[in-house]
This record gives sequence, structure tokens and C-alpha cells, in this order.
Amino acid sequence: MSSFTLGHFSQVCSQLLNHYYGEIVGQVGSYLLRRGNRMLNDIPTATGLSIREVKKALAVMIQHNLVKFQASERNNNVAEYTMIHHNVYCLIRYPKYLYMIKRIYGTSEEILLEILLNLGQASASNVIFHSANRLNEANVLSPSALHQSFQRLAQDNFIIRCPKLAENATLLKVPTLEIEEKEKFAVPNVEIEPIARMLKEKATQLGGHCDSEIIWRVNHERFDIELRNVILVNAAARRVDTTAGELYHLILKLWRESSNPDSPVTTPVSYNVIKDAVRKNDSSPILLEHFDHYLRVLYEDSAGLIDRAGDAGGGQFNLDYSKVFENLACASLDSIVLERFGSKALRLFRLTRIQKFMEQDQMQNVAMIPAKEAKMFTYKLLEHNFLQIKELKKGTSNFAPVKSFILYHVELPQVVRTTLEASYKGLFNAMVRQMHDLTENQRLLEKHAMLESMLERLKGDGVPDEEIAELSDTMPPAEKSLVEKIHLMSDNLTLGQTQADETILILESYLKFKSKEL
Amino acid sequence: MGGRGRGRGNAVSFNIEQLGFGRGEAGPVSVTQPPPLFPSLENRPLPLIKDVENEYILVTQKDLSTRMRNSPFYLKKSEKINSPSYEKELPVLWNRMPAELRETLPKRIATGNSKVTLNAKKKKVEDPDKIFAKLEKKERNESEVEEDGDGKEDEDDQDKSDDEKVENEDDVKEDLDDEMDDDTDYANNYFENGEAYLEDEEGQDDGEAQF
Repeated sequence: MSSFTLGHFSQVCSQLLNHYYGEIVGQVGSYLLRRGNRMLNDIPTATGLSIREVKKALAVMIQHNLVKFQASERNNNVAEYTMIHHNVYCLIRYPKYLYMIKRIYGTSEEILLEILLNLGQASASNVIFHSANRLNEANVLSPSALHQSFQRLAQDNFIIRCPKLAENATLLKVPTLEIEEKEKFAVPNVEIEPIARMLKEKATQLGGHCDSEIIWRVNHERFDIELRNVILVNAAARRVDTTAGELYHLILKLWRESSNPDSPVTTPVSYNVIKDAVRKNDSSPILLEHFDHYLRVLYEDSAGLIDRAGDAGGGQFNLDYSKVFENLACASLDSIVLERFGSKALRLFRLTRIQKFMEQDQMQNVAMIPAKEAKMFTYKLLEHNFLQIKELKKGTSNFAPVKSFILYHVELPQVVRTTLEASYKGLFNAMVRQMHDLTENQRLLEKHAMLESMLERLKGDGVPDEEIAELSDTMPPAEKSLVEKIHLMSDNLTLGQTQADETILILESYLKFKSKEL
Repeated sequence: MGGRGRGRGNAVSFNIEQLGFGRGEAGPVSVTQPPPLFPSLENRPLPLIKDVENEYILVTQKDLSTRMRNSPFYLKKSEKINSPSYEKELPVLWNRMPAELRETLPKRIATGNSKVTLNAKKKKVEDPDKIFAKLEKKERNESEVEEDGDGKEDEDDQDKSDDEKVENEDDVKEDLDDEMDDDTDYANNYFENGEAYLEDEEGQDDGEAQF
């Protein structure tokens, strides 16, 4: 399966599928990513896999919300399958989801989410059952506590119900699935006693249960909103200080409760409401004391974290997502230019961005950079597509040669899209390199892992230290240091991927809100 | 590229000074080959952020990768995946998926127990090795008796023993199929008959995969 025909984003997606679900799913996924929606029979011939393998791969992907299907128009008995691109990309964010849930709620919710991520789609009882098993304290942590945790997750919309089978679905070859708006987060009654009983019997599977038809999955959109909020709160904390971050976190919550999630501008919230919320919440005393000042600093700040929308109720405040993400995207681009080309190039870039259209001479004068350097940096930025050129002809007479103005400007959506592609490419490179390192040294790593587990077991059994030292010497120190190096490199690559993902989130959000406002 | 601002006439549209270098100085270096595949880094990138969140993410990522690799959803290329009974090992919610993804056709009308018919037609499961040995002995005996047409018979017997081996493996799986509600008469017919087996065999393969 040649990957040069895939764009960078699709390459990242197919690498993720390979990593998490194996190469069969990876091949089927790459094909569908490239070709859009296809029927079952097209896939084996194109990928060279057997029809059984393709069927299983599709089933696994549908189960994990990566593929959706609908009945083909030509033939109702056959389905057409399409990849859900965003969900495949979100595979990379699963550790972040777990971290957020752990920070907001606690360990039991974290385990519930992890189980749901592993299963793809599952009923509430199943999730609770497996989580209790994982926590391994069926007596201490009763299923009813887990049930409450499950309800908390559903209330805050982190998990969502999958559409259920329509009434006549069992008769159709391709089932239709539907769901009503109000049912999306309603937790059904879950019978705790059968679960508790199964746990006591140490069963590995929960048998039939009353809510087996009500299936849940992770709500990616909600997690995206949460990730964006984290970015905004961090921005506020960096811009002012941590207390401002706290205040901003509270205000974000108020906005989220009152606004439509799809609108690019939140509904305004009045000063008194914010003050009440601050008082009710267990905020730090500094915030209570200087609440006024913090609010003022935040809304007067040019980053656009809070906008003043009116004066009623002591002041109305709202948030314009497109403006704030434009500022964040610009900040990201600025730091990219700074790190790649230096501060002089950054001065030129910022100047051009703020002043819109500038001539070369103007640029070097206002930026106070010597002419030759200015020209060199301008050319470099142009070469890497951070600057764009607009030519204006100024023809006066027919005899004299036509003079033209050459104006430089920054076309933000275009630059953002180029940077986004570069980020995907960087992410892909990091993933490929990591995979390469791990598979090349797989034998060595496995040997090391086996040795470690054996040593731990022996230590637990109380074997004397000399024997342990002897065993640990079976692996020469050169190999041990190599294993260390590999682990370190792999960790760094994972961190690099995580950071690249943050940039991708900011840039993607900017493009998304920009397209909404038009 | 003549007439570069060289005096009167032949004036060109740009002024030489605008390019940033005087007449005496050398021009910019011309590019003679495509840029290198791994260009050298001019500025060292900033160090990676290592805070509490990222430590947690590192650990969770490794954990998640291991867990997903060991889960039944991770499809490896092996002989097992092509066998019809692999479907049972895959903990997928089959009733929410198109029927064409299933190995066996789901029953249209939900009747009570279709298990009853299965047991009656169960074939005795023999160890494939034993059958092989038996047939080999038979071959040897036959080859002692007849010399003509040996090759053909040998092949036939070989085929038969191989098929019986496959058949018996499927029979073993049939035992596990007991719990499966969706079984079709089509499958029952296939297992029942030994002699008519070879004739049916081709039909059975095509029944599953449509190309």
C-alpha cells in the first residue's frame, strides 16, 4: 500500500491504525481513507487481503467508532463504509483524555473511561463490570459507586449513547441506527446485584443483562472542547498569573453551561453572575479579594480572552472563539518563525502581519534591520511560504518601462494550513521513527523486559541479593545502556508527538472557527 | 540577461540597486541541485516540556499500547483469522453491523432452539493423525496388490485424508458452535455427508466468499 498517495493527515491516521489495531486494519483503513466510501467487495481486490480479513477489520473499526456505514443507494442489502477521519486522529489523544478525566474527577472515572476506550462501544453494565475487575476490589469499591461515577461522566457529556437499532432493523441486512436528542446522555437503570454476583464468582464476562441494548461510547467532541479550554486557561495563566487562570476556568464553565456548543461566540454572562460563581466556588482568597482587578486585566488584554459585550448587570462578558484562536494561532506561528529563523525574521514577520501590506523598503526601515539582512530574511520567509507577494502594476505611460509595486503580506489561513501540514508531517516522522526503533530492537527489548520481570519476581520471593546480581549480569552492560537509550529516545518521540498535537489543535481550531464565521 | 542597467537604452523594468547588491559585488549563488533530503538544522529546537502531565502521558501511552496490542481487537495476520470460527473470538457487537460482515447468515425468524438438530447429525471426531496413518497403511496394502494406477489412487487417497483432516477440524469447532443460535441448514448438510463430501467441497468454498 503506497503511502505517497495519502496526504500527511491520512498518513498519520494510517500509522495510528497500524500501531493500535494491527496491519490488517491499517491496510483496510488506508484504503478507505484514500477512497472515501466503498462497498465491502471493492476492498479485498484493492488491498490484497482475504475477504474474511477485510470483514473482521471493518467490524473492529465499526466497533471502535472509526468507520460508519449506510445502506448503498443502489442495493439496500449492501452497505457503503466511510472512515470517520477525526475519530481516527483522536486515537493519539487517548492518554490526554485519561489525564483530564483523572484531574477533573478521579481514579474510578479514569478506569471507566479507559475500559470504554478499550471496548469501543459497550453497555453501562459491561463497563462497570470490567472496571470493577480491573480495580480488583469488588468488595471495597462496590459496583454502585462505579455506577455513580458512570452517571457523573454522562452528566458532563464525556460519554454519549450510540444510536440504537431502529424497530425494523433486525429485518434489514444493513441496520439503521437512530437516536433522539434527549436520550443522548440518559443513563438507564442498571441492575447492580447481577454485576456484584458475577464479580464474586470471578467471571471474565458479564452475561446477558437488562441494559445490553443501550450502548455507550466516548464523546470526542466534548473532549475537544475540554482540550481547547485547557489551552485557553493556560494562556490566561501565562498572560497574567495562575489566579487569573482559575478565574478564567470558572468563567469558561459558565459560558459552556449557557451557550450553544456550535456557535463561534458564547452568550454573554454578566458580572454579577461571575461574582456569585466565584464566591460559591471554593476559590483562593486572593481571587475573592482582587476579583475585580483580575476581570479587568483579562478583558482589557489584547489577546481577546474575554470581550466586554455590554454594560447591563455590571458588565456583560463573552468570548469570541475566532478572535481568540486567531491570536493563539498567530502566537504559535510567531514562535515557529522565531525558532527557525531568528528574532530579526520574527520582527519582519510580525510587522507584515500587523500592517497588512508592506513594501520591502518600508519593512526594513520600520523594523530597523540593515538592508541586506532584511532582504535575506524576507526571501527566506517567502521561500518557506510564511510571506506572500502581491504585485501592483503602476503603468503611467506607454514608453517608460512598467514599474510595479511589490507588496508583502501574510495571508493567515494559507500560512496556517501550510504549517498544519508541516506539523502532520513532523508527527508522522516521529511516529515512523519510533516504530522503526522499537521493531528493529524488538528482540533486545523483549529480552530486557523478561529479565526485569524475572528479577522482580525473584526479589518478591526473597531470593538473596547475590543471585539477583548474578542474574542481572547475564545481560552485558553495553546492552543495558542500549536499552536505556532506546527507551529514552522512544519517550522523547512520544513527548514530541504530544507537543506537535497541541500545535495541531490550536491551528485546527483556528481554521474551524474561521470557516464558521464566514 | 544582457543590458543590466548598462547605460542608456535597453532599460529594464527593475533597478539594479533594488536587488540589494551593487554592480561590483557577486550575485547570489545559483542553485545547481535539489535541496538535500536532510538539511542541516540551523537553530537547535527548544527542549521538550517535561511536566507532570507529560510524565503521566508517557506512562499511560505505553500502558495503552501494550493493552491494545494484547486485546482481541488487534488483528494479526495468521491462519486463525481466516477460519470461520474467529468471529466468536472477536468481542464485537454483531447485531449493530451490516449482515454481510458476519460469517453465517443470521436467522430471519427468531425461533426457539436450533441446537436440537445439530446434535443428531454430529459426526464422530477422529484424530486426524490416526486417519492419516490408517490411510497410509491402506495405501501400502493397495500398492502391494496393484501396481498399475498406483499414482492416481495414491493421490486420491492423499486428497481424501487431507480433506478428512480439514473436515474433522471443522467438526471439532462444530462442538463449540453448539451455543451459536444462528446456524443454518446449509451448514448442517455440509457436515452430514462423508461420501458426497468431495462433490460438495467446491460449492462450500464459494458459498462464503464472493469475488
